[in-house]
Amino acid sequence: MIEFKHIKKIYPDGTEAIKDISFRVEKGEIMTLIGPSGCGKTTTMKMVNRLIEPTSGEIYINDKAIDSYNIHELRWNIGYVLQQIALFPHLTIDENIAVVPEMKKWKRKAIKQRNRELLDMVGLDPATFQNKMPRELSGGQQQRIGVIRALAADPDIILMDEPFSALDPISREQLQKDIRSLQKEIKKTILFVTHDIDEAMALGDRVCLMKDGKVVQLDRPQDIILHPQSPFVKDFIGERKSPWQTAVDIIADPSQKHVLSQSSYNNCNYSKLQTYIVRDENNMYVGLLQSGILTDGIRLENDLPLIKAVEIIESSNQTIYPVVKANKLVGVISYRDIVAYLKSKAVVANGVVQS
Amino acid sequence: MNDFITVFQNRQDMFWETIWEHLQISLLSLIIAIVIAVPLGLALTRYPKIAEPIIGISAVMQTIPSLAVLAFLIPFFGIGTLPAIIALTAYGLLPILRNSYTGIKEVDPALKEAATGMGMNSFKRLTKVELPIAMPVIMAGIRTSMVLIVGTTTLAALIGAGGLGELILLGLDRGADVNLILLGAIPAALLAIILDFILRGFERISRRAGFKAFLSMLLIAVLIVVSPFIFSNSRQADLVIGGKLGAEPAILINMYKLLIEQDTDLTVELEAGFGKTSLVFDALKEGSIDIFPEFTGTAIVTHLGDQANSNEANQVYEQAKKGMNEQYDMAYLEPMKFNNTYAVATTKQLAEQYSLKNISDLKQIEDNITAGFTLEFKDRYDGYVGMQDKYNLNINDVRTMDPGLRQDALTTGDVDIIDAYATDSYMIELDLVTLEDPKNLFPPYQGAPLMKNETLDKHPELETILNKLAGKITDEQMRKMNYQVDYEDKSPEEVAEQFLEEHDLIVTE
Repeated sequence: MIEFKHIKKIYPDGTEAIKDISFRVEKGEIMTLIGPSGCGKTTTMKMVNRLIEPTSGEIYINDKAIDSYNIHELRWNIGYVLQQIALFPHLTIDENIAVVPEMKKWKRKAIKQRNRELLDMVGLDPATFQNKMPRELSGGQQQRIGVIRALAADPDIILMDEPFSALDPISREQLQKDIRSLQKEIKKTILFVTHDIDEAMALGDRVCLMKDGKVVQLDRPQDIILHPQSPFVKDFIGERKSPWQTAVDIIADPSQKHVLSQSSYNNCNYSKLQTYIVRDENNMYVGLLQSGILTDGIRLENDLPLIKAVEIIESSNQTIYPVVKANKLVGVISYRDIVAYLKSKAVVANGVVQS
Repeated sequence: MNDFITVFQNRQDMFWETIWEHLQISLLSLIIAIVIAVPLGLALTRYPKIAEPIIGISAVMQTIPSLAVLAFLIPFFGIGTLPAIIALTAYGLLPILRNSYTGIKEVDPALKEAATGMGMNSFKRLTKVELPIAMPVIMAGIRTSMVLIVGTTTLAALIGAGGLGELILLGLDRGADVNLILLGAIPAALLAIILDFILRGFERISRRAGFKAFLSMLLIAVLIVVSPFIFSNSRQADLVIGGKLGAEPAILINMYKLLIEQDTDLTVELEAGFGKTSLVFDALKEGSIDIFPEFTGTAIVTHLGDQANSNEANQVYEQAKKGMNEQYDMAYLEPMKFNNTYAVATTKQLAEQYSLKNISDLKQIEDNITAGFTLEFKDRYDGYVGMQDKYNLNINDVRTMDPGLRQDALTTGDVDIIDAYATDSYMIELDLVTLEDPKNLFPPYQGAPLMKNETLDKHPELETILNKLAGKITDEQMRKMNYQVDYEDKSPEEVAEQFLEEHDLIVTE
């Protein structure tokens, strides 16, 4: 858990890079920091591992001020992934991954073991890759190493500074997918800086939109899209691609309509004529209640693009679908919601529907 | 080619010795330069504000001519290896310093940030990341410096530090004896190439094995080079006799040595081949040498900064003796007979063509001739300055050149007149004509032993011993002996011994 309390950063020349920001990143959460260039998102991130010191205010990790930690030990416990990848060119892949574990005086055998594990984790064959030099790898492979290098000593927190922006679109998409599936396993607290709104929306459990050194809106992706708090936010997220690529959690209806709590279900407090999504008290998805029968039903992952979701919906006769994130219910979606969303996105110019 | 091989065979001992000296001096200087410049360069990257001024200072050191640095150091460190190593080290600093600084400075900032962000401290970041990445640049600096040092070490011979420069200087002195010069120059070049090759290997290893390997290899190199210095004391003899470059001083100091060692139990060491008058005189003042043969004329003009009051040999000597005693507290024993004064020489052919007899005859052709003078001659009053003044000469083209080269330039026709010394052996060899000096511009130059009064107080017997040579050795005899060394390739020691025996000054069993 990272907490920013009244952080300000004023450079000697008087530039106010950060103007009093306060927020928390919860344990196990990916928070994406986004905003136009110069908004202070990278500065904010680099203050966590003290590459930049705030002028005033305090940052806490697990409720302890960061400057009360030994600076080197603090950094050993915060993974850091750079935009420039920055693998050390004179070291092999193995040696690159082992940098922090070595500083933490891990046993040679443990390092070896960990390296193999990490390479496997990102789908790179250890035997092929561990003795290669960074320059022998493609950009996408290099940044995979960059990511596992940050994970090597098993830190609780990972900072990622536009890690995929230097990659080609295919590698970028692949790596985003990898991070999503990786996070299900590793459950790290990740602060992720990006300038790509799609990336921010797709990866972030919450998105922190910044402008001129201030937090403009900090919300779940769907909330930012559904309830932009200012014209700036609307403009910023407005440049999105075709509505068919929107993730289903943005379209889904977050209201509790069609949702039945486990207790109501247990008390038979429902109508057999209707279809419900049943959740427990922790908002975890339990099942689909149709004609009074509880089944597993088909669920949609929150980051599924609309076009993929429709393919699934077409081949089934279920009428409402739960949208889940790691099995947590974030909303319910039906044809009705989809049509309403597409209509809201249709652009009509001079009486002609544009796309 | 055959000549070259003969020269090599004749001087094999000297050759191996000088090569070893050369290697030691250059390597030690290089290592000291590395030990100073690499850490300094690295430190400067952490304090960039003072970096440029400090690199500037080392650049200034680089611009001072190496010979000037050597001359400057004698008053403080004497002669021999120490000042040579100091000067060479100062010379080698800049490339290493600049490359170390730039090498580290130019490491990709993202890599530095990654290292810092991963929790490396400054030292760890330096050794683990910056140094290995900057190593090729640093090594390039070290290699540049090495070539510079190996080349400049040839000048170390001028202040008695030895090295391949001895062969080159000897060659230059012997009328640009190409074979001797090559015998010095080729190994110097080969040394540079071989060392470069070794350094390249060094670079490869250190890139793989890292900082610790680099340090340990440096340590081993230091031990190899330094050990001979530790085990040998530089000054073991009771007396050190110095001499300027050339056959004549070499013969004379050998005579001194033979005479002193015959009559006393003192041990004598010789330091021949000082390149310039001021170098050997500084060495005497500083105490690295105890005695050297100096000319009366030089004593007055160069050391006392005076003019000879008379052109009578005896009076000139008395003036010099008095002056040296008063100004430098030095004893100047009695001179030998020969007068090695300056002379203006030309070829027989030119002398006949314009019927040149004395210096004033040059006036008629002053616009058409080229003079080849030594730097020293051109600057002195009892040299070209006086020729301009007393003979109203203004020669169109005056070139300065090394003493060993002017006679060659004269025979090839590049110059028409040169300054010469009356006893120089090539006067015989090249059949040159000297022009008379009716206005007595050139004072007498008689050789006599010069030493500090304290040396004489300590060893009063030296006066009687060395004065045995007083009034001995005529111009003719001196010229002949010089000829034997320069052209018949006899050793100065042999020639000196032969003369002393012939004149019953020493007895051999």
